[in-house]
Amino acid sequence: MKHSSPSPLNGSALALLTARMEGIARKMANTLHRTGRSGILTIARDFSCVVLTAKHELLATAESLPIHVLRGPDIMAKTMSDNHPVLKRGDAFLHNSPYHGCTHPADHSILIPVIDDEGIHRFTVLAKAHQADCGNALPTTYMGAAKDVYAEGALIFPAVKIQDNYEHVMDIIRMCQLRIRVPEQWWGDYLATLGAARVGEREILALGKEIGWEKLEAYTQQWFDYSERRMIDVIRAMPKGRVTRKSTHDAFPATPSDGVTITATVEVKPEEALIEVDMTDNPDSMENGLNLSEACALSAPMLAIFNSIDHTVPKNEGSFRRIKIHLKDGSIAGRPRHPTSCSAATTNIADRVANPVQAALAELADGLGLAETGALLPPSCGVVSGVHHGKPFVNEVYLGCTGGAGAPMADGWLTILHAGNAGMCYQDSIEVDELRHPIFVHQRRLIPNSEGAGRFRGALGAYSEFAPVDCDMTVAYISDGNVNPALGTRGGLAGGNSAQFRMHADGSLEPLAACAEVVIAADERMVSISAGGGGYGAPYEREAYRVAHDVREGWVSRERAESIYGVALYDDMSVDENRTAQLRRQ
Amino acid sequence: MGLRFAIDTGGTFTDLMVSSETGVLSMHKASTTPKDPVAGVLDSLRMAADASHESLQAYLARGELLMHGTTHAINAIVTGSTARTAFITTAGHPDTLVIREGGRMEPFNFTIAYPEPYVPRALTYEVPERMTVNGLAKMPLDEAAVLQILEQIKAAKVEAIGVCFLWSVVNPSHELAVGALIERHLPGIPYTLSHKINPSIREYRRAISTCIDASLKPIMGAYMRGLETRLREAGFNGRVLVVTSQGGVMDAAHAAEAPVHLINSGPSMAPVAAKAYGEAGDTDTLIVGDTGGTTFDVSLVHRGRIPRSRETWLGQPFRSHMTGMPSVDVKSIGAGGGSIAWVDAGGLLHVGPISAGAVPGPVCYRRGGTRPTVTDAAVALGFIDAKFFLGGKMSLDQQGAMDAIKRDVADPLKCDVETAAEAIMALATEHMVQAIMDITVNQGIDPSEATFVAGGGAAGLNCVAIARRLGCRRVLVTEAGAALSASGALISDLSAHYQAMFHTLSETFDQAGVNRVLQTLSDECADFAKNAGAGTAATQIDWSCEARYIEQAWEIEVPLRKGTFENARDAAVLVEDFHQMHQDKFAVSDPHAPIETVTWNAEVRCRIGSNELGRLAPDQRAEALPSRPVRYVGAGWVDSKVYRFEAIRSGVTIHGPAIIESDFTSIVIEPGAIAVRDRMGNLVIDVTEGAR
Repeated sequence: MKHSSPSPLNGSALALLTARMEGIARKMANTLHRTGRSGILTIARDFSCVVLTAKHELLATAESLPIHVLRGPDIMAKTMSDNHPVLKRGDAFLHNSPYHGCTHPADHSILIPVIDDEGIHRFTVLAKAHQADCGNALPTTYMGAAKDVYAEGALIFPAVKIQDNYEHVMDIIRMCQLRIRVPEQWWGDYLATLGAARVGEREILALGKEIGWEKLEAYTQQWFDYSERRMIDVIRAMPKGRVTRKSTHDAFPATPSDGVTITATVEVKPEEALIEVDMTDNPDSMENGLNLSEACALSAPMLAIFNSIDHTVPKNEGSFRRIKIHLKDGSIAGRPRHPTSCSAATTNIADRVANPVQAALAELADGLGLAETGALLPPSCGVVSGVHHGKPFVNEVYLGCTGGAGAPMADGWLTILHAGNAGMCYQDSIEVDELRHPIFVHQRRLIPNSEGAGRFRGALGAYSEFAPVDCDMTVAYISDGNVNPALGTRGGLAGGNSAQFRMHADGSLEPLAACAEVVIAADERMVSISAGGGGYGAPYEREAYRVAHDVREGWVSRERAESIYGVALYDDMSVDENRTAQLRRQ
Repeated sequence: MGLRFAIDTGGTFTDLMVSSETGVLSMHKASTTPKDPVAGVLDSLRMAADASHESLQAYLARGELLMHGTTHAINAIVTGSTARTAFITTAGHPDTLVIREGGRMEPFNFTIAYPEPYVPRALTYEVPERMTVNGLAKMPLDEAAVLQILEQIKAAKVEAIGVCFLWSVVNPSHELAVGALIERHLPGIPYTLSHKINPSIREYRRAISTCIDASLKPIMGAYMRGLETRLREAGFNGRVLVVTSQGGVMDAAHAAEAPVHLINSGPSMAPVAAKAYGEAGDTDTLIVGDTGGTTFDVSLVHRGRIPRSRETWLGQPFRSHMTGMPSVDVKSIGAGGGSIAWVDAGGLLHVGPISAGAVPGPVCYRRGGTRPTVTDAAVALGFIDAKFFLGGKMSLDQQGAMDAIKRDVADPLKCDVETAAEAIMALATEHMVQAIMDITVNQGIDPSEATFVAGGGAAGLNCVAIARRLGCRRVLVTEAGAALSASGALISDLSAHYQAMFHTLSETFDQAGVNRVLQTLSDECADFAKNAGAGTAATQIDWSCEARYIEQAWEIEVPLRKGTFENARDAAVLVEDFHQMHQDKFAVSDPHAPIETVTWNAEVRCRIGSNELGRLAPDQRAEALPSRPVRYVGAGWVDSKVYRFEAIRSGVTIHGPAIIESDFTSIVIEPGAIAVRDRMGNLVIDVTEGAR
């Protein structure tokens, strides 16, 4: 094969270079995970690493948090190029502006342009890391009640140069150190994030030298074409249809009293091989921290689409060509205008966007889509802070948050956390938390009968009960789902609601507001209930042996098995086939 | 000294290495017999006896030691044949094994079910009791409740019990009390206490170690008794030892009492062998790749030490359970000779992770396989001699291999069969390279400073290609590399690992407290050396401490220079060593920040074998084999020189392109690479020449 084929790269060269590019993104992520300083990076793994082309097209994402990476990195890279027309090797940029492509201000991102020996900008690498603190007015990175960006208080960096010729711009560093709580921790996390991006830069420079920049560029376009072809095939096989679904976020400060209803209209057009999502029929921005950034407004419906189809379709600019998301300027689920606050953009409303989109796709055909995922952010993954024997402490904990949605072929993944996270974050060890902070965890357990029943059921909710040790403790949280549960789809039922209480010394429970910073005294306990996931398909279609297993394990009561699933059991917990058939006929 | 045997039971083959009374080695491979693995062990011994023209009885009577690496423990877990096990936990925390530590792979893949807990929730029992972080009983143990639970456990026909309470590592009294109650009320039921089997923090990891251990006790006890009995019956009167996940060996009877140590028995020996044979080279950092039929195992030797990890998964990461035990860090991916190649609807080539396994196997094996594999590609390219596979014991279907490649890969890619075969090899190589880079970046190793040690039957096909992609200068294939793990077991030490938790800060270093902990560990090591290690040649204790910067979440393991802290200077040295280790692993350190210690480890090693690495018996056959057509990347078809590995004399230089074959493997020396046999019998391949 000495003659050149019409296409410069065949399927094997494409596969090889893809393994190399994904390897680079993964190496960045491994570096960040192992070198980060704060718990949120090293325990929870709340970060993402991606590679983009010089034209700001998303190329490789390793295994990142979906809400972080699908859309947004492209806008951030473009902002970098627009604001800095001359990019040089050795530059690095700090970016957290939700008005310029970043998810929310707590996600500090480092962008590095990869510049070849001729000075040509070839690729951009991006490492994004959720900060333990970003200098907000309150010690939390989710300011649900902030009226605007001024009330949030975080410094906003719209692609600001933080390294020049591989040297830190100390002015910027000093500004951060004066605004961000626990500045040594921030500095450690900044170095880790920068280091990860530099690893990506170094690897791509070596790859370009080895392969040749032109060939690498040809690769990126062919990889996008391949990914687009895969997406076309998938959409062509889907049924044509248009579904509108709504999902309502509970009432929070500065929302209407009946909450925020999000409307998503999903249209699958097989003949055009296109999926469109119309998000324009939604309320205007509100004077709180729930508003979406453009990145989240675009990524949330997209992640719901990719959750709903063949998972082997690559997620990049190529497959994205077959998705159109329509947004409205100045909408809570659209493009925000400065100074609208987007403090909690990655979780609450974003989930209320992703959930109806994936549930709508399920309505189009059996085997597609997902039910709704449980809502975030209950006190069990809130930010705890206080002063213990004169020493201040602050950290986000992960003491039990579940919520996985029922799927066409599997029950909800237990530790999914929320739709945008996809279960990528870790859950805390109780012993590690008790060692690191003055807290005592009385209970952490799953809640029976809190699953959204279905042919494939949602995950159970989690109950946790924790208290400060010898001090007061502030718990900041923004718990959606107290009123509006995760709904099922295709006949599946809703998951259990979330709730939160103060347990007084006498054991009595006092209900608490859903969006709050509460002070728990030394003789009190914080009680947190996280939401269950919605079910997929009617509960009567659930295979009886699965129901029997759930009953044996204590996840579902015998009464519920009969009344909701139509499955009767003998006393030895085996299925009573006759009575089950009878129940299911009714 | 009598005969020493090392037997590694793998998925496909049971490898046996024998060291004679004079230190001469021999290598044998028998088929693994999954239903009765001891039969495969005896088969391999029979082959060795035949080769030595003796009866098995007489041959085994000369035996002194037998070291056994076994997959029996992990297989029992995978096939669900472990004991019916109960989990006793602290009240309020019944879902430790259900919730695990979170995390997930493939964020958009919702077709995979969340794993069931290792012990069913129905067999999980909450005991009213609670220790605090300081070891104070915030809630005393409710013994009456325990007795009721033991009644329920009895009624549930439970066969083993795991007990793990929060903070039992700080104060084990509640676990000990429950252990005593089990002995009194359920005599004969095997049980495991978490603070004994895995005294470290993080309740999930401790609980899972405990439950795995308990669940394996009945089956591994039976296996070890069966092994010993049948070896005795066959004539062996020596000592029977098994390989542990930590890269040592322990007495079979002892291992049966703590079988969680056997999860990674076998793969843990690859770096032990690599270290022993590679130590004479010019680097003390080795990347070890062990390629079998279905998996590619990567491990490391970093600056002369074999790194350990507590994150060993029973199956796929996040979709299974961790062992939670410190083990030799081995990363395994689904890539090997059996990996299947195909082209998807969009025109993209894939190789693995689906594998044809041993059955039906590659197309060329003629065992019913129809989809082309990496081995088929190697046959198509002439890397493997279709007529002389496994020393001529098996002839391969080259045409069948080529037809399958044409149909499934070449035609969809619109290229010829040879190009397609090269593409399959290249992609398989890249997957292995990526697996290696994941583990090296996590350990802070620059592959260009390491030597690549290639072991396993399929390693030679692409070891030069892997080394070149990684930027390594050198590849090492040991003389017995086709049975790398068995050759490691042959020279391994009798060892035991003891650990204890003790938390102290560098700023207020509690020297007396640390010394008390180290003294306890030292006493345990001395006991071991006195009992299990009686009569061994030399005893050594490797000390280490797991520590971290104060805000950090994960500890790193730092070797201690000695087993006691005599003054403030000793503590300062530990802190300096920590910063250095952190710098090595992560390329950053924070030299002014204080550190905190979490766990203290002592590994006692007693030398049971000889210090000399043996050599295979000299081979009298001719060095040169008939040449044959082989297709090399960048060189096309070449009438290639072929050499017999066993017959190459030390110091002889072989220039690529060339194939070096043994009875067990085929090593591709690509153009530009230069191979030489060293004094130890290793094949050392310099892969850089071609690049210059």
